[in-house]
Amino acid sequence: MLLGAVLLVGGGAALTRFARKTDAFAGSSGRAFNAEQFALLEQVCEVIIPTTDTPGAIAAGVPEFMRQILEAWGTESSRAEIAGVLVAVEKLAWSKFGAAFLELAPDRRLEVIKVLDSELLAAKDSAYAKFKHLVLVGYYQSEIGATRELRYELVPGAWRSCVPLSEIGRASAV
Amino acid sequence: MDFDAIVVGSGISGGWAAKELCERGLKTLVIERGRHVNHRTDYLDFSAPWEVPNRGKVPEAEVAEHYAVQSQCQAFNSATKQWWVRDSEHPYSTPADRPYHWIRGYHLGGRSITWGRQTYRLSDYDFGANQQDGNGIDWPIRYADISPWYDRVERFAGISGATEGLDQLPDGQFLPPMELNCLESAFKKKIEQEFPRRRVTSGRCAHLTEPTAEHVALGRGPCQLRSNCERGCGYGAYFSSLSATLPAAQKTGNLTVVTDAIVERLDYDHAKRRISGVRVIDANTKQGRSYQARVVFVCASTIGTAQILLASQSEYFPRGLANHSDAVGRHLMDHLVGIGASGTHPGFLDRYYYGRRPTGFYLPRYINLTEKGDVDFLRGYGFQGYSGRSSWERAENEAGIGAELKDRLRTPGPWEMKLVGFGEMLPKADNRVTLHTTRKDRWGLPLVHIDCTHGENERRLANRANRDAVQMLLSAGFENVKPLGELRAPGHSVHEMGTARMGRDPATSVLNGHNQAHDVQNLFITDGSCMTSCGTVNPSLTYMALTARAANYAADRLASGEM
Repeated sequence: MLLGAVLLVGGGAALTRFARKTDAFAGSSGRAFNAEQFALLEQVCEVIIPTTDTPGAIAAGVPEFMRQILEAWGTESSRAEIAGVLVAVEKLAWSKFGAAFLELAPDRRLEVIKVLDSELLAAKDSAYAKFKHLVLVGYYQSEIGATRELRYELVPGAWRSCVPLSEIGRASAV
Repeated sequence: MDFDAIVVGSGISGGWAAKELCERGLKTLVIERGRHVNHRTDYLDFSAPWEVPNRGKVPEAEVAEHYAVQSQCQAFNSATKQWWVRDSEHPYSTPADRPYHWIRGYHLGGRSITWGRQTYRLSDYDFGANQQDGNGIDWPIRYADISPWYDRVERFAGISGATEGLDQLPDGQFLPPMELNCLESAFKKKIEQEFPRRRVTSGRCAHLTEPTAEHVALGRGPCQLRSNCERGCGYGAYFSSLSATLPAAQKTGNLTVVTDAIVERLDYDHAKRRISGVRVIDANTKQGRSYQARVVFVCASTIGTAQILLASQSEYFPRGLANHSDAVGRHLMDHLVGIGASGTHPGFLDRYYYGRRPTGFYLPRYINLTEKGDVDFLRGYGFQGYSGRSSWERAENEAGIGAELKDRLRTPGPWEMKLVGFGEMLPKADNRVTLHTTRKDRWGLPLVHIDCTHGENERRLANRANRDAVQMLLSAGFENVKPLGELRAPGHSVHEMGTARMGRDPATSVLNGHNQAHDVQNLFITDGSCMTSCGTVNPSLTYMALTARAANYAADRLASGEM
């Protein structure tokens, strides 16, 4: 993690509150998230993939997918990496706006995640890459993401090698 | 005698041996070391992405503990995991600084379930290559010997492809090709203009585009363009032992299959110069037993076959069965992969395609054939090409979130193309499979030790393949063009060949021109181990043709009493 890349120096009081908050993140052997982390995860996922004219990340079950995949697939170190991204979100919310992420208005939440996304991707941060990968897989390979947001058919039945994009409409999920 | 014929292994070669021998009226036993598998009902091909276990991911800890080598194969995921061995249960050794990727599965049908399904004929350039440049020994056969057998196996397997009239890539009995997409058609035009001696054609593949009555009678149907192939195909739309050869063998009433039976050794009766028995160990109970037959086909895969021969020592064959030549286990080859190039194309943004085509295109070998001079290596390479428009995956590396991200990903991304080189490896005696001197597996059988490296010719060839691929993409207007990278460890293309090579001289080869052991008249070997050189094309179709040819030769000899 290159948290330094996104950290601005916050005020003394804010950091004290932040330290109290992050205590709740400590220790979760085998489990991916505690209740407080999961509440934060849900809102971060929804900021990355919001509800628009199609359902967003929460409706598509992305946070639940991340919990399940990290417990069934991830090692302890992957779980720690993902939890670390949530810490980075919280730190950035405090340093930028002096409040917890969940206390921020929607436009400020968007701004926090936008900064986090561009800076951590630019820094090639492996924990954030894993986080974003799971959010994207969680959404675009869900039934909602694959069939309502994009296009997916289990049995296409034919190969049409060259057709106008307008006939297909949207990108294929697979 | 228990049986007329025994076939060791049920993969692409073993399945063909079983079919041909059974159809010739021989009571045939197929011995498979892995578990039984049911066609259709054991496949996960009808699972949508959200239904596949962990969306395709195999748990990280399980990969590290059990699948360190197998997971290197790009088809390895949670929906195909059952088709690979656990490395932890089936170890092999290599020198510490010379890795070899032995990628394999132990189950009925073997790698015919997970194969890449690309099917090309060898040409006389390939059969004559060793003789021409003096590497290895001459093949005992030429294209004319195998051509009718290619016809026969192509008609039965069902091969989709386009006729091209090229000497280096002979045409065959094709079902309709899967057409090139918009970008590939433009690429073909450009390449054939800029490089008049090169050709771009639809990838020839073992998929039924228009099934014949023979295919339908076996319960096979047309390809549905799902591209879930490596999970197994419930439509039987691509060729496998389970969809095609074993059902055909079963129909004769002459087939017996035993699974979970690991061949420990072949017993040799020197007075009769014959295999007198096939000893197996039950994989579960570890109990031993033995089978007898008039003729034995070993199709255990290139490394597995070498292992069985080397383990079958006797007073007459102290170095291993049929190994007076000391060629058993040597001359291991695998196609050079990891080479080629990729790029993106700025055009065709209003064009797309429908369906998930399970093949790409092929750009056959030209180097040292139709284009000579300015070349510092022997042999050559062909390219398999893949192209399509990127989708949501591209967002993993691009900044962006929120409604803007969703909106952007609704439209397919730019067109991408990959030229994937497959290069020829020279046969070298020191690239070799032996038995480990001390370590044994859980059944008490010596571990395989694989010592195989690339040489200077391979490195030069790889450099040139990278350079050519970059040049072709640039000349066709691609951007972000990059070579794919470095040569992968040998074994990575899963085209291992050569450990019991065919030849005319018993002093330097294991098998004659009919895949029959020089030293043991009722022993035939028709898997990749028989290959005298490796060519540049995917080899499975050649194993099929050589197997069908050898099985009918053996049946003729049994019928005439000459064997």
